[in-house]
Amino acid sequence: MNAIEIKSLTKNFKEKQALCGLDMTVPVGAIYGFIGENGSGKSTTEKIICGLIHESGGTVKLFGKSHTDPDIRAKVGVLIEAPGCFPNMSVWNNMMLQAANLDISNAEQEVVKILKLVRMEGAAGNKYKNCSLGMKQRIGIAMALLGNPALLVLDEPINGLDADGMRIMREVLTDISKSGTTIVISSHILGELEKIATHYGIVRGGKMIKEMTAAELEADCRTYVALQAKDMSRVKAILSCKYSRVEEYEAGYIRVYDAVSPEVIVSYLYENGIIITEIGTSKIGLEEYYIDLMEGK
Amino acid sequence: MKELNFKSPTFFERLKGMLGVDFYRLFHTPMFYIFLGIAAVIPAMILGTMGMENPQTGEVTAQLYTNVWHIIAAETPLYVVNNIADYANMNMVFIFGGIMVSIFIGHDYKSGYVKQLFTTHAKKQDYMMSKTLVGAFSMACMCVTYMLGAVGAGLFAGTSFEVNIGSLVIAILSKMIMSLGWASLYTFLNIIFRKYFGVSIVSCFFFGTGILIIGAAAIFGNSSILNIFLYGSSVYACLSSNILTLLVCLICSVVWTAIYTIAGTRILSKCDVY
Repeated sequence: MNAIEIKSLTKNFKEKQALCGLDMTVPVGAIYGFIGENGSGKSTTEKIICGLIHESGGTVKLFGKSHTDPDIRAKVGVLIEAPGCFPNMSVWNNMMLQAANLDISNAEQEVVKILKLVRMEGAAGNKYKNCSLGMKQRIGIAMALLGNPALLVLDEPINGLDADGMRIMREVLTDISKSGTTIVISSHILGELEKIATHYGIVRGGKMIKEMTAAELEADCRTYVALQAKDMSRVKAILSCKYSRVEEYEAGYIRVYDAVSPEVIVSYLYENGIIITEIGTSKIGLEEYYIDLMEGK
Repeated sequence: MKELNFKSPTFFERLKGMLGVDFYRLFHTPMFYIFLGIAAVIPAMILGTMGMENPQTGEVTAQLYTNVWHIIAAETPLYVVNNIADYANMNMVFIFGGIMVSIFIGHDYKSGYVKQLFTTHAKKQDYMMSKTLVGAFSMACMCVTYMLGAVGAGLFAGTSFEVNIGSLVIAILSKMIMSLGWASLYTFLNIIFRKYFGVSIVSCFFFGTGILIIGAAAIFGNSSILNIFLYGSSVYACLSSNILTLLVCLICSVVWTAIYTIAGTRILSKCDVY
């Protein structure tokens, strides 16, 4: 069974078509990285999944049932844009209110457990408005986790976080995922997403252009040879004569994307009188894969 | 792997949860107590300043009310307003109540709290009912503080307290019952203008003044047909009230609450909520 199954989803805002036939499949237990440019339709899709806006066409099924089914909706946790908290109330009170809203019987124990999970147990007494951005995002996740959701929808939860905040968030999401909760997470910080996602969906212009697992991404990502030498412009010119895709990178490296071993490149450049100072093979990451896909490479 | 057990909460479980949150918020927001204070101060100010002597001219300001209970309700239903004394009574609570309901619901949207609500609560009538009940409760409380303010000011000003107790009790009870209908109207208006906070407040104020009914009464006269409207029934709850008044107010309030709740639910179900 899939946690989310979307077919031919469309959404029109007056004259603007935000989604035009989007398909999406998220298996149960996955951490689904939802990627796309600004205005590509990520947030719109997430809001439809959460029932905040209505679709113009298509079907949305959560765990095999319609997304409007109250049974299902009670099991969806959401963090879209900012957490829906009352700024003058403490973190604890905001959590307790959400627990009351969900009619959770052992609310206090549940809130303590979740605050520990998101590493916020020490800040429970703080007023929400006094919390840092990272803390607020974690409070938002904590709110979404109340009621033991089967599906968690997070819209850009790591934007604006510092390195430590991102690390904590990564750990929190990994812990949540271990309990079997399906997580849909949209983000522009692809390097971070790559560390936790098990599945990916890339959306563009309101359409899903690629869905794949992390393993498929790994297999799809091209290997390249990166090298450094003294006269980089000459090296590039020489390599470009023999190989089809040679690119110079900002970090002062030249990358050769053709299927060739470093040894072959070393001997070829040596024949041309160039001594390489550094060379190695690597694979492109999600970010470069995404950029390549967007640029149609 | 997590066991997938989907069981929707019952209507009462859902409403209990939402009401619990709304009442907690109501009792923990200074706004509620400020409005209770305003409701108490208004009759006190009106009664307290009436009949005072101007120290420069020596003139005594006109006595709007000779009986303290007239600031709670008129002697007879006065849909046509000839002077401020015909208008200024406990019905003013509903104007301030409208502003309070607007602020309360507006805060749901401003804080983004509705995202959490509408994600987990698929049934939109829960929201309508919860806000209506909380709004009605707060306006009923304002009716009580209004009455206390009037009594206090009446004692201070030495105004007459003569009244038919039965009719007075029925009038106050009827007005408190009308709080439900008014709260449902304000909740409905706030749902329509949910993205425009200022418009919500202005529309609540506009309808709360009962200006449409007053205008209709000016054209058609003091007709009991106006009792089918919220303002009409509120006016009908006067110092000559009897059990029929209570019944009329109850029916009017409940029917309008049902209409506005159904209409508000439909709007929320059909439109994008956030």
